[in-house]
Amino acid sequence: MTLFLTFTVLGLVLGAVYAIAASGLVLTYNTSGIFNFAHGAQAMIGAFLYYQLQVVWGVPALLSVLVLLLVVGPLMGFLLHRFIMGGLRDTADVTKIVVTVAILLGFVSLSHWAWDPQEARMTKMFFGVDSYVTVGGVVVRYHEIICLLAAAAIAIGLRLLFTRSRVGVLMRATVDDPDLLRLNGHDPERIAATAWALGSTLAVLAGILITPVAGGALEANALTLLVIDAFAAALFGRLRSIPRTFVGAIVLGLASTYLVAYAPSEWSWVTNLRDALPMIILFIVLLVLPQDRLRGAAVRTRERYEVPTVRRAAVWAGVMVLATVAFRQLIDDSSVGTLVLGLSFAIMALSLTLLTGYAGELNLAPVSFGAIATIVAFHSGIEGEGLDARMNVVGLALGVLAAALTGALVALPALRLRGLYLALATLAFGGLVSSMVLRETQERSWFGQDLALFPNGNLIVSPLAVGPLDLGDQTTFLYTASAVFAVLGVGVVALRNSGYGRRLAAMKDSPAAAAMLGQRLPLLKLSVFMISTGMAGLGGVFMSMALSSVTADHFVYTLSLSLVMLTVVGGIGYVSGALVGGLLAGGGFALIVGSFNELSIEHPVHAETFGVLSHLFLVLTALIGIGVGDNPSGNMHAIFRGQRVLARAPEVRYAALALTTVLYALAYTEVIGTWTFSLLVLVLWLALPAIGTALRAEKILPPEAVAARRATPLELVGIDTPYPPLLAEHLDRELGLPARHRATVPAPPVADATARTTTGPVAGEEAQHVPV
Amino acid sequence: MSPSETVLETTGVVVRFGGNTAVDDVGIDIRAAGVTGLIGPNGAGKTTLYNCITGMQRPDAGRVVFDGQDVTGLAPGARARRGMARTFQRLELFLSLSVRDNLRVAGDIVRANTRRKLDVEAETDRVLELTGLTDVAHLDVSDIPTGRARVVEVARALMTRPRLLLLDEPASGQTEQETEKFAAMLRALADDGLAICLVEHDLPLVMGLCSRIHVLDHGVLIASGTPAEVQASPAVIEAYIGAEVVA
Amino acid sequence: MTVTSPVAGHDAAAPEEPVVELVGVRAAYGAIEVLKGVDLVVPVGSVVALLGPNGGGKTTTMKIVSGLMPTTAGELRLSGRNVTGITATEASRLGVCSIPEGRGVFANLTVRENLWVATGTGTPLAEVEEAAYTRFPKLGDRRNQLAGSMSGGEQQMLALSRALGTSPAVLLLDELSMGLAPMIVSQMYDIVGQLAEEGISILLAEQFARVVLPIADTAALMLGGRIVAVGDPADIEHELSTTYLGG
Repeated sequence: MTLFLTFTVLGLVLGAVYAIAASGLVLTYNTSGIFNFAHGAQAMIGAFLYYQLQVVWGVPALLSVLVLLLVVGPLMGFLLHRFIMGGLRDTADVTKIVVTVAILLGFVSLSHWAWDPQEARMTKMFFGVDSYVTVGGVVVRYHEIICLLAAAAIAIGLRLLFTRSRVGVLMRATVDDPDLLRLNGHDPERIAATAWALGSTLAVLAGILITPVAGGALEANALTLLVIDAFAAALFGRLRSIPRTFVGAIVLGLASTYLVAYAPSEWSWVTNLRDALPMIILFIVLLVLPQDRLRGAAVRTRERYEVPTVRRAAVWAGVMVLATVAFRQLIDDSSVGTLVLGLSFAIMALSLTLLTGYAGELNLAPVSFGAIATIVAFHSGIEGEGLDARMNVVGLALGVLAAALTGALVALPALRLRGLYLALATLAFGGLVSSMVLRETQERSWFGQDLALFPNGNLIVSPLAVGPLDLGDQTTFLYTASAVFAVLGVGVVALRNSGYGRRLAAMKDSPAAAAMLGQRLPLLKLSVFMISTGMAGLGGVFMSMALSSVTADHFVYTLSLSLVMLTVVGGIGYVSGALVGGLLAGGGFALIVGSFNELSIEHPVHAETFGVLSHLFLVLTALIGIGVGDNPSGNMHAIFRGQRVLARAPEVRYAALALTTVLYALAYTEVIGTWTFSLLVLVLWLALPAIGTALRAEKILPPEAVAARRATPLELVGIDTPYPPLLAEHLDRELGLPARHRATVPAPPVADATARTTTGPVAGEEAQHVPV
Repeated sequence: MSPSETVLETTGVVVRFGGNTAVDDVGIDIRAAGVTGLIGPNGAGKTTLYNCITGMQRPDAGRVVFDGQDVTGLAPGARARRGMARTFQRLELFLSLSVRDNLRVAGDIVRANTRRKLDVEAETDRVLELTGLTDVAHLDVSDIPTGRARVVEVARALMTRPRLLLLDEPASGQTEQETEKFAAMLRALADDGLAICLVEHDLPLVMGLCSRIHVLDHGVLIASGTPAEVQASPAVIEAYIGAEVVA
Repeated sequence: MTVTSPVAGHDAAAPEEPVVELVGVRAAYGAIEVLKGVDLVVPVGSVVALLGPNGGGKTTTMKIVSGLMPTTAGELRLSGRNVTGITATEASRLGVCSIPEGRGVFANLTVRENLWVATGTGTPLAEVEEAAYTRFPKLGDRRNQLAGSMSGGEQQMLALSRALGTSPAVLLLDELSMGLAPMIVSQMYDIVGQLAEEGISILLAEQFARVVLPIADTAALMLGGRIVAVGDPADIEHELSTTYLGG
């Protein structure tokens, strides 16, 4: 009985913290329509700041808490809303999600920067472990009482806020009808900012409270995933009702402690299951949630993707493979591996182009599907021993199939629901893979077969060999990866141009209209999700082969999130966007951070500077991700736009091509380095629209623009803006000119009075070119 | 008038929102080879009734019978696959597709559902021609005026070869000439045997086009009959104008 | 396209400055122009009725004045001041009280909470409540009931209460009658008539022409995004009956 009570108390305490986190999530989601994936990361920052204040700097606990809850939390929420969330109107859900994901990544990088993750940190309970009361034989620590009281206070406080305070009533009104709120003289944006401030504060509070309850070790990744627990709790209230969210949180807390207490002792995986419990509960709740009502929703968002023809895609695929071969000649063997890794990630990113760019659904754990495929391929496809071991094509195929089937399982509960739920289900799946599958390092009986899923926490994944093709050779691997991406890229474009692809677009644009034409939406969603996760699995196996030895760290969820984010930054609606996103996520990061590390080893004096730079780079990347709010179609879209003007002056392109060839020759003969070559080529092609416009203005620009360009001699730039009438009159008076002239000339756009009188006819000509 | 078969029938349909009864015990029928009008002042419950017919809204009571089968519990897609098609008051076009592809995708969906050998290309060309959209076929749907966009929605619905076509305010946003052409097109479709139901505010269009009209007011069916009968009904005049005979 | 005149000329606002003035206003949803140059004047203390069939641009005109929709050309003046581009929040604080089409209430808030939201322009809650419950004792009985669970008429009373307590400079009423029984509609307009007598300037849009004619000083007929006739309500009424059912 005492055991039961003890675990009940523990469960309630855990539930209380979940409730605090979840209520903040529900609050911001409802008032601003943005689901904050960074909610857990905010909690994490709160926990670390508390550690910094209280443990490192020795600030009294109470003061630390007050600073965090009264200053840091509200400020963080306010700034997030003011500078980021406010700018997300008229963007697709995908963009909103990716922006908060970028914030999550930014916070994680910041925390890694400020607090070295290698170092162990512990926070203590308030008043220590030894301050407790005993109730009916159960030890209840002060800290736990504080958690319970805080949750109760928040439950009551929110209730009062929403019913007894004007700002709370206004928050509920925002949910109902923001336009009507405007008509009442309120500003919904300001109300949303208040909600963000409050929501962030709740996240910070949850972060401070949970660490000692959950064992005391501060761990950035685990804390960040608190968002999944909070979300699972919030689902009980369909992301709307705060009381039901509290109930969900308590259920979640109790379930996880009872599991630990009462699970049979031979279930050695129970501790893993406990970590994964919120995700499992999340799946179950998704299954029982009632279906969303179909509603008309064809609104124009700011994202734009253009679809190339298959022929065009094939040409570019060829160019890409040729470029890979040419580039291989310039780089040394060690760089080949990085490039292969980048291409493997690009294959995973391509799965997102199909799923997100074409079908409008989101997968936040592509790398976890890669993990599933890797494990299956490892167990079923490795032949031979030691260095001669190779993976056969059957293993690869089974791996891809496993990823696709797992995809179906993950998607199934969320198919009937909105895209946000599918995105969350995938994030939960990512957590599940990390906390359960990848921890299966010991042998256990699976349907009568003894097997360790992830033996010793380290898989040696041998390269693929199919007939004469042996990926054991790095160069062959590089060419193969490039060819596979190219073929899949063309395939994805062909799919988009087929009836299937049009049906995907229809589903994305207007689910209601697609359904009314007879489209079975769940089936279509399921099929595209399976194709996509299968492709992610393929990319994952390639990644594992490229790394040749993989651990759980290689499949961590932040990697998935970075990949998703960078693909959106590149342009998730484009194959080229996937290529850029993948290369950056897989190769670019490793390369750039790696070179900073190398530099700091080579120049120990500046080691610190290089360390800062490499952290700064990671944080900046997150900032770029946040920037997709301004450019939701991605950078490739903008680049294509720019290049298109050159169609009118093909000679510019030929010249650039020739120059590239010359540069290549120089690099090949080692006159210039590979880095220099890459950089120059990149700058050349990115700047080409500007260069072309400067050189061939009369061909590229419309006639008016050409005229405007020619009209203003350099020395007159800036002084040809029209004078405001008042100033002109004043000048006239000062210059003693007859004022009545003014009256007959309406709104004179003339350069300046003196120029007019002295140069006569020229002035008239000039006046025509004044921009209006 | 030839006795044409009833394609769709509602009986005793009730929909409540909170304290309001939006549709109260409404029974209407829609017959093949003709245009049936569904009119009534703003807020009379026309769109709610439409949503019940198409499956976007589950009624609190009553039945919807389509082609002799009770479809009350069926999802919109299932009804569509049985031959029901609709357009939307607030346009629901596929904005990332061209006009032509908006039609084509409807054919793609039919082909995927039925595994029937359907020449989507040829069918698309035929419907584009029929609806007079050939000249704008290559344009983005977001680049054409509302009047034409309404026709695209009808054309897209026709691609599924429906037995019943439900139109929700198709004339709003159309110019006078567009409306005239539109009416002629609907007449031709009805002559080919299609059952058409029209929710519309443009009363001259409704009176001129429909063979039968149902009038809703405050969720209640207040009149059913030919245009002449409806125009003469005192209840209709009361609901619409407030008093005095107009027509 | 009107030329923006310098502000200087309007600095000394004459007492006769109309409370609302639209000059050559155009507005569009995307590429579709719905207002094609609207000129409209609401003099101080008068009731102007916008009449005409649906799709004529009445609601859009109301949205322009209340700041919910931007103009693409032309000028909006409030009490002689050029406020083109104003937001709804600002307009409301300048004394424009707008009751939008459909429900002008927050369904998931109680009656009292709805009135609380109405204090956004600075009037204390007690005053707003007092005014509302005095005029509509029914609302006082239901102050803790969710607005969405009340009948349509009660909801509209609640919406109107916002105008009662906050003494706006101008009251905008869009389709007050929508979905209401005729009895309730005439009750509503009795209240509006009283407000008008108290000197509040009112701009209202209504498709039930007849109910507003007794209280309107001026009527304007809107068709196809333009005001086609302005004048004495009785004259417009005559014109209206010919436009409505198409003669």
